Amino acid sequence: MSESLKLQVDRRDGLAVIYTEGYINNQGGEEIASTASELIQGGYKVLLLNLKGTKIVNSIGISILIEIIEKMLEIEGRLAFCCLTPTIEKTFHIMGLAQYAGIYPDEPEALDDLGAATSS
Amino acid sequence: MTGTSAPAGPQTAADIWNELESLARRDVGERAYVERLLELWCGALGAPGAALYVEREAPDLGSRTPPGAPELLREVVVGEGPFPASFKAAADGLAGADGVATWGLPGGLLVARPPATGLDTETPPPEPLTLLLGASLRALRLRKQLKQQHFQVNYRVVELESVYEVGLAIASTLDLDQLSEEILLRAVSLLDARRGAFYRRDGDAYRLDRTFGGEARDRFAADDPALEPFLAGKGAGPEELLPGARHLMAVAIGSGQRLGGLIVVGDKESRRGVGPFGVADRRTLSLFANQAAIALENARLHRQALEKERLEREMELAAEIQRQILPSGAPRLPGWELIGWNRPARQVGGDYYDLLSRNGRLTFTIADVTGKGIAAALLVSTLHSALHLLLDRVGVGPELFSRLNRHILDSSAQNKFITLLLADLDAASGELTFVNAGHNPGLLLRGGGEVAELSPGGLPLGLMEGGAYDTSRLDLAPGDLLCLYTDGITECASPADEEFGQQRLVECLTAMHREPLGDIVACIDRATQEFAAGQPQADDQTVILLRRAAG
Repeated sequence: MSESLKLQVDRRDGLAVIYTEGYINNQGGEEIASTASELIQGGYKVLLLNLKGTKIVNSIGISILIEIIEKMLEIEGRLAFCCLTPTIEKTFHIMGLAQYAGIYPDEPEALDDLGAATSS
Repeated sequence: MTGTSAPAGPQTAADIWNELESLARRDVGERAYVERLLELWCGALGAPGAALYVEREAPDLGSRTPPGAPELLREVVVGEGPFPASFKAAADGLAGADGVATWGLPGGLLVARPPATGLDTETPPPEPLTLLLGASLRALRLRKQLKQQHFQVNYRVVELESVYEVGLAIASTLDLDQLSEEILLRAVSLLDARRGAFYRRDGDAYRLDRTFGGEARDRFAADDPALEPFLAGKGAGPEELLPGARHLMAVAIGSGQRLGGLIVVGDKESRRGVGPFGVADRRTLSLFANQAAIALENARLHRQALEKERLEREMELAAEIQRQILPSGAPRLPGWELIGWNRPARQVGGDYYDLLSRNGRLTFTIADVTGKGIAAALLVSTLHSALHLLLDRVGVGPELFSRLNRHILDSSAQNKFITLLLADLDAASGELTFVNAGHNPGLLLRGGGEVAELSPGGLPLGLMEGGAYDTSRLDLAPGDLLCLYTDGITECASPADEEFGQQRLVECLTAMHREPLGDIVACIDRATQEFAAGQPQADDQTVILLRRAAG
């Protein structure tokens, strides 16, 4: 199992999708935060994190994800997650991430909803 | 933070109050409120520049700034360039400069540039806005602390939830591999570990089952002297357990005879890097391992049950094959009655019989393979095939037995042998030719009540090479009843461990010898069962009865 997180970014009209593969820990979380910052500076205010390739998140990773959510709220943007394992989804609910970030079962549903949000 | 201009011209106290009240009503957030307050402070006190530094005290959760190094929250600059981002730089570069004032506020520091009329560098100006700024800063700090505590409480819930869910997996995840992965991933995640490994106990060693985040040692001895102190948190553990990891912790899964494995985690993460695991971490992992032990034991038992089920299916198939080997009925020859009956002690057995009619002759055989179950049944199949092949070639006699003996010796394991009685009847004359290779003597009840035995004429098949086999002959008169049987009948034991014996069998035959053969078999079966008095059948039972019709 790979130690480091791999990221891919798909920039679309009005939103960007970040695909993760691997462990979202301190190192992985920082990489996501850095990518999110670049996207925000590039004008993206809606970000979708697709965690299909991630089976494990630790508390440091979660704290960094919370910071990204706060940053998105500051710029009146929106962050959402999709394709979470049941364990990660439950963790996000308990940790309160679900209060400020949308959680979707799959990417098409997330894009439908976020796309509607960006066009409205 | 970038600098912004202070508001043009001083506002009245009423204006400031109204604006602050409006901000509070709009719930702009503590941070935005404090930032605007600093701008108003500069405007009200005529300071051309000021900066607010906030202490961050959450090194692991919310902050990326080491403790004790206040971070610039907000600056207001009218004239000169921006303030340094860190308070240390600000203190080094500005605090000593002429006319720069620095005041400590609850949870932060305020730095102002000159000229701020009426300000001195010793005490904060007794200005309501300064007091409000300090109070707001304190609220901001408390809010952060509350957020951190909220985070920690929530994460504790996640930990407990994980322990609970592994408990639930006892009922839902019975796949041992899936369960092992789940346990390792949850352990690594819960402990904020960077790496981990899961070892299974394999005899006198621990064997690596799976790893996460890097390589791990393949196996190590269960009595490795470094293991015990390591599990007690007092040693570094077996060498090169997780190569490259600086801090390790392990707990055992299960205990005593049920010691199933080890969970090893390496390098606890924080925002500043990696460090050792603490006492609370060991407690959490131990709690988790207790649940994991039950889940793993349950999955192991499930796997065993599946294996048992598979074996039972195979046994049933073997029993079906054996049923096909045994005759489904008896051949009919005018003037003769013949019946065969068999009941194995298990699904498959080591008893064998066959009834063949060939050109006016009746050939029948009864055999008993040592042992019971699958091994005996396999040898029965071997005997069946060889006997049918040889009967067509050499007929009943010593030659057939010598060849059979050779074949069984070559085909069976040591200490496996077969007792066999093969008889060939000339239906027209009533002459019976037989060879008895170590089998129980057949019983012949004459019409007049005398009993004769078909005694052995050689050693059992497969016992040793070069055995000699004698052929014997008997004439069966009208009314004579011949009974061949296996030792499952005569050695059937009572609760007092007494054997049914040949005499009781003879009594059955004598009492019933003119009755239908099916009734005689039923009588023998009933008599042995009553004798056993509920004891389980210990050995396979087989009976062949042949009777010449009375004149």
